[in-house]
Amino acid sequence: MGSGIPPTQAPTVAELLACQEIQAAMRQAWADSLPGDPANRHEEGGWIYMDTTSRQIAVLRASPGRQSTLDLRNPPLVAGSVVVATFHTHPNPTAEGWAGGPSGFDELSADALGVPCLIRADNGDHTAGPESRRGGLTGNPGFPA
Amino acid sequence: MSVVTTPSSATGCPISCDEALAIARKDAETAYRDLSGFRIIIERKVDGWHIDYELSDVYLKGGGPHYVIDATTGMIVSKRYEQ
Repeated sequence: MGSGIPPTQAPTVAELLACQEIQAAMRQAWADSLPGDPANRHEEGGWIYMDTTSRQIAVLRASPGRQSTLDLRNPPLVAGSVVVATFHTHPNPTAEGWAGGPSGFDELSADALGVPCLIRADNGDHTAGPESRRGGLTGNPGFPA
Repeated sequence: MSVVTTPSSATGCPISCDEALAIARKDAETAYRDLSGFRIIIERKVDGWHIDYELSDVYLKGGGPHYVIDATTGMIVSKRYEQ
């Protein structure tokens, strides 16, 4: 994504999921979620930023969440960048009846925060919320206003 | 954890609100290690008691269990574990 061309639009969900740096971050978050440990599995995740000039992607991790929840409300500010998505894991197994896809609150929060929500579960990757950051790369450095 | 109940016109059903809540909670505690972050919404509908464990803040990621419990037999008709 580092084309050097000043961006005019925020990256789409498909572009984000195709980014190797983001895939690596989701793999690490999944491993850190301890999906194979029933007593300690928990959600992990963070924020995905884009530099508004260079279009470079950066990823920051949030504090670990609980078994089925994660707080991504307060992204650290990154100079020259804006939040273009969040990501988190669903470590509880679909084989035991858990839904791998987004919860109702995953959808609500993604719409409220204004950026796509990428989710990794044992049955693949899922998304919720807008197709790309609401309002493009303008606006607040954190989530769009 | 807080409980929000909605008024029901279907009085006299064999399974009371409290009984339905107990059935749901017993199941929920087998799947979720900690239910303290959720509020519970219970509503009597045509197909039974709908019991939903919801987060308290719309900006949080995650989810809780959701149930439909037969108001006559007390059986869990459907359940969904969200995360």
